[in-house]
Amino acid sequence: MDAKDILGLPKTPFSLTQEKKSRPQKDSQRKPDGISREVYALTGGLAPLMPSLDISQLKRPPPSDEKITWQWLPFTNSARKDNLQLYHWVRIVNGVPPTGDYSFAKYNKSVGIVKYTDEEYEKYLTDPMWTKEETDQLFDLCERFDLRFVVIADRFPSSRTVEELKNRYYSVSRDILVARAPSSGDVSGHPLVKDPYNFSQEIERKRALSMVLSQTKQQERKDAEVLAEAKKITESRMAARAAEESELPVTSNVGPENTEKANVPDETASPSSNAQLPSAIIAPPTLMADTAATMASLRMLRVYLRTYALEQMVQAASSTAGLRTIKRVEQTLQDLGVNLKPRVPTKAVCAEHLELRKEILTLLNLQKQLQYKEAEGSSYRENSYAETPSTPKRPHRVGDLDRTFIPDSISFGGNILGDNGHLVMASHSLPTCFLFSISISISISISISILWMSWPPSSVPINCLSNWDFRG
Amino acid sequence: MYGGDEVSAIVIDLGSHTCKAGYAGEDAPKAVFPSVVGSIDQMEVDDPTNVEKNSGSALDSKNNVKPLDSDKAKGKRKLYVGSQALGYRRDHMEVLSPLKDGVVVDWDMVDSIWDHAFRECLLIDPKEHPMLLAESSSNTPQQRERTAELMFEKYKVPALFLAKNAVLTSFASGRATSLVVDSGGGSTTVAPVHDGYVLQKAVASSPIGGEFLSDCLMKSLESKGITIKPRYSFKRKEIRPGEFQTVDLDFPNTTESYKLYSQRAIVSDIKECVCRAPDTPYDESAYSNIPMTPYELPDGQTIEIGADRFKTPDVLFNPSLVQTIPGMESFAEVASSVRGLPQMVIESINKCDVDIRRELFSSILLAGGTASMQQLKERLEKDLLEESPQAARVKVLASGNATERRFSVWIGGSILASLGSFQQMWFSKSEYEEHGASYIQRKCP
Repeated sequence: MDAKDILGLPKTPFSLTQEKKSRPQKDSQRKPDGISREVYALTGGLAPLMPSLDISQLKRPPPSDEKITWQWLPFTNSARKDNLQLYHWVRIVNGVPPTGDYSFAKYNKSVGIVKYTDEEYEKYLTDPMWTKEETDQLFDLCERFDLRFVVIADRFPSSRTVEELKNRYYSVSRDILVARAPSSGDVSGHPLVKDPYNFSQEIERKRALSMVLSQTKQQERKDAEVLAEAKKITESRMAARAAEESELPVTSNVGPENTEKANVPDETASPSSNAQLPSAIIAPPTLMADTAATMASLRMLRVYLRTYALEQMVQAASSTAGLRTIKRVEQTLQDLGVNLKPRVPTKAVCAEHLELRKEILTLLNLQKQLQYKEAEGSSYRENSYAETPSTPKRPHRVGDLDRTFIPDSISFGGNILGDNGHLVMASHSLPTCFLFSISISISISISISILWMSWPPSSVPINCLSNWDFRG
Repeated sequence: MYGGDEVSAIVIDLGSHTCKAGYAGEDAPKAVFPSVVGSIDQMEVDDPTNVEKNSGSALDSKNNVKPLDSDKAKGKRKLYVGSQALGYRRDHMEVLSPLKDGVVVDWDMVDSIWDHAFRECLLIDPKEHPMLLAESSSNTPQQRERTAELMFEKYKVPALFLAKNAVLTSFASGRATSLVVDSGGGSTTVAPVHDGYVLQKAVASSPIGGEFLSDCLMKSLESKGITIKPRYSFKRKEIRPGEFQTVDLDFPNTTESYKLYSQRAIVSDIKECVCRAPDTPYDESAYSNIPMTPYELPDGQTIEIGADRFKTPDVLFNPSLVQTIPGMESFAEVASSVRGLPQMVIESINKCDVDIRRELFSSILLAGGTASMQQLKERLEKDLLEESPQAARVKVLASGNATERRFSVWIGGSILASLGSFQQMWFSKSEYEEHGASYIQRKCP
């Protein structure tokens, strides 16, 4: 009985007269063949269909030629063993009450429990721990409660655990089945025979589960605290180790470092993996910071290849340089006939290779700076000519043009000593590594000035000096 | 489609505080009245004509002419049932309850209560309707047989079924497995339900219920000097428009039990309006300075209630608090042996099989009148989260509607009795005649 009955509406969503209209609609809404419904639903699938009522159906009552009344009639229920007659509302069509059993009787299902006779019990089923009454009670309860063992254990008169009851029930059923079968082959496929109830495993499982469930929140918190403490301790140990190693002076030779690292394997509990810890790659003083950092990062790894270490070092070293510079370094290496990656990457070879790379890098940097400074100097010289119209060197302009190159180099050297703030600032902005380039240029300028001293025109040195003063 | 079939069954839930009765299939009981009766002993009045007069009067009194159990040498009593009858003060009327600690001690009273429900509240003839009765989760077999006898012999019902309170509450929330915390008027019971059956070995119960809390509150107010006048003992006269004067009336023949009953009614109302479960265990010092809530008594007095608002509900969680309430020392030994609500829940779950514990933790249902107290659900959840295992997810469920919580047992019965697949489970009259009352143990598990 439901709302549709009361309203007198047909149960199916589409009545006969409207089948044709609905059919094309239905076809387009089917899911494609070949994939299951759930899989199709994952991709988006169809919109969920509901058995809907057509509005037009609700508005007008269906043209029925039948007379429908409702009557309060008694009914019998085949699921009952007695003949109790209760009353309920019944939909009568044309005065003919519906026949057939009570519509809910079909839901009366129960589990099929094996029943044994007394002789069978005597022959097959006796057990030292179970009396016949108990076994009978057990089977009676199993039937009443449809094998809900938790409830059966609760209602069992003597206290037995759920596993004991299950064990007894399944073993009895199995024995009966085996005993009644004409041959053992018939029943070997039966689930009771194939997978017998594993008593000890169930007990273990339940014990483990109860242990999991008996840990209260406070215990969990304590466990978590203990674990956090342990983690803190290990972390502080690691930090202490790293601090010790970074404090070591870079010029220490391999020996102490090796011994220090030999101590490290003693501390950590896996000597085999620590046998391949890096031995020293001694870094040049200028790039100590880089290698120390990479060494620290490498120490985090227990095992690694030397080529990998080399790559790390190279990367660290060339991190300050641009891509073009790296390419030029490699080009230079190739010009010198050295492989980009050493063929035999032993410790010494790798160290030398790294050194070479670093020196090339330095050289290239210096060359670049030199060019830059030369360009700067020439640009300043042209600017200074434009700025001062009343300089005494004007009549020497033509001559000066010849001397622009040389005074430029002198001006380089002069700049070190000079006190024109404009140019001196420029000199102070040079990084210290250009001391090398400047020392080179000083040597060049001194040699040139020596050459000049031997030159005949007398006015030239005076003019040069005046120029020099002006520019100095 | 939903599996329902109306057979016009009647559902009755006789609780320790109120009795609920109504038709199955509805969503609330039609008849709700207190499950106590007023009784006047007829021993003092030994006029035989009185008996006829009594049988003639049909106003609001129910005659109990022939007690069912003739062993009782009590003589004739007049019993008054229903809130209307009880509300009227009568001389020498004692207010008695048929239940004591959840067990029926007086079957006459139960009979009169049922009769009142059938004939005066629901206006039905019990012969035509199958009956579904709700019983306590720890009901004894003798009580059930007695119930069956009374129903079949006296009222001649066609079919009967006795269902446990916890199972009905569980069905009312749509679950077959849950842990039901039923906190009603007379007691609090914690019962696990698995697959529709109560696990009887794991049921825990405590005598602390709504009435106990009302008593605590009453004693606490009295110790502060507030007297609660029962409604019959005063009259309010309007001297000037809007202003009332209270005049005390004196009825020397009123019994103590009636006075207590009237006072309890007022205090229950105070409790329902004002009390809240505290978020943390009650501490005297913490609550000494909270603002007071005013409440106007029926006689015009306005009282201020402060810490008692939180102290009284905390007795549920911490029964030893009772000892600090002056006037409740008689209950001290009882309270010391009783555990608080969260401990009862954990104890009950731990007595169950390990496999179902997780499911029980995640579906804890609250039912009963006292469970509608504000903040009770949150406090219980918080306390349980502290003490429950990490692996289990604790979830306390309670329907938001206070009416549903009060009547959840009745609603479950209404659902059960109107299911189509339940109709095969009735214990019918013919089965009773064939097998006897003890057959009910098999039929109603």
